[in-house]
Amino acid sequence: MDPFEIEFIGENRIVSIIPNFSHDKIYLICGEFGPFRAGLPMNVPLWLAVMLKQKQKCRIVPPDWMDMEVLENIKEEEKRSRFFTKMPHEHYMVEAKLLLGAAAEDIPRASEVKTIIKDIWDIRMSKLRTSMDALMKSGGSYGRLDHLTMMEINSVKPLLPQAMDELHKIKMMTRTSASATLNNSTFTQSGSSQNI
Amino acid sequence: MDAEDIELSDDEEEITAESVLKTLQNAWQNERLAPEILPHHNDMVECMLGQIQHMERNINKLPKTDLRSCIHKMELNRIKYIICNYLKTRLGKIEKYCIAIVNEEKQRIEAGTNYLTPSEFRYAQEYITNMESHLKNTILNHVPGNMQSFELNKMAIYPNFYCHVFLKANETINGIILEDLLGDQDEEIDIEEDSQHILQYKPIADLVKNGKVQLV
Repeated sequence: MDPFEIEFIGENRIVSIIPNFSHDKIYLICGEFGPFRAGLPMNVPLWLAVMLKQKQKCRIVPPDWMDMEVLENIKEEEKRSRFFTKMPHEHYMVEAKLLLGAAAEDIPRASEVKTIIKDIWDIRMSKLRTSMDALMKSGGSYGRLDHLTMMEINSVKPLLPQAMDELHKIKMMTRTSASATLNNSTFTQSGSSQNI
Repeated sequence: MDAEDIELSDDEEEITAESVLKTLQNAWQNERLAPEILPHHNDMVECMLGQIQHMERNINKLPKTDLRSCIHKMELNRIKYIICNYLKTRLGKIEKYCIAIVNEEKQRIEAGTNYLTPSEFRYAQEYITNMESHLKNTILNHVPGNMQSFELNKMAIYPNFYCHVFLKANETINGIILEDLLGDQDEEIDIEEDSQHILQYKPIADLVKNGKVQLV
């Protein structure tokens, strides 16, 4: 999938805004939102929040986790742990990118927040590269990847799955030639079924 | 107070437009990531198209400057994108694997477990006919007689079931068997609810189709 599609999926996440206008409840297909009361916080999907922000109809309430103290802790934890730690949520990177892009002025210490999220991302990506390397070297055809977010998983496509596919092909060939030395007649059979 | 309201509506298990949209989005995601064509979700698509039509009629009644109208339009465009991309992905697979799909689908139709909608099936069959006549007109009819035979099944391309995919478990599943190619010790794994894995598509193909796992 393209990164913009992951972003598209992430945009369904619910965030909090403070509208500067009043309006009755609005009935969307993905659910009902509102009523909008000027000055009172309310929840809407991320795509709607960004849209209203661009029309200057609301302020964004920074998500709980988009706070320097919380993020420092996450970063420390991520550095300390050998494994991937649990992120605030599945689409933290999408939320950060869109909110910091469209509403940096609504988020306290926005540029620091941006840097630290990028740091966390970098730590995780380097961990991911190391574990991919280990997985390939162990000749694995199976891996468990808890706490990795969709965007992170997507960033190793198609490299990791394809590398594993190739490894699988090599193993198939090894097996075919091994059985061929045992029994010459099986060579032609399994050899032709190999022909993909 | 608000939290209570939300909990109450969650308890009711009725089919809402919201849940249809969610199912459709998951189906789209699976279809994008699975190597083979998956059973169709035509009822969901039809239902959503009905919702869109209904919504569009309502939007037209609103004054153009109404804020609601542009919010609704934005949402509809998002849903239309999912539907279009879903159908396009399926057509792409149908074209690529047309011969294999039509052969397998014929058996599935007999068993009543068809994966394609009737119109998709017709499309696949016509695609093959057109491809065949195109190849005959451009090449086969102009080569010596003994080379003119057209063997459709030899041209079939099959999806690679051995490719690796990422998945997230919707529920705990025990005893997925991973084949060991070199040794003869097949490995058996259990996956817990909400855990994520990368593994071969083949052993989990059925789990994708019955919704026990979600491809990511």
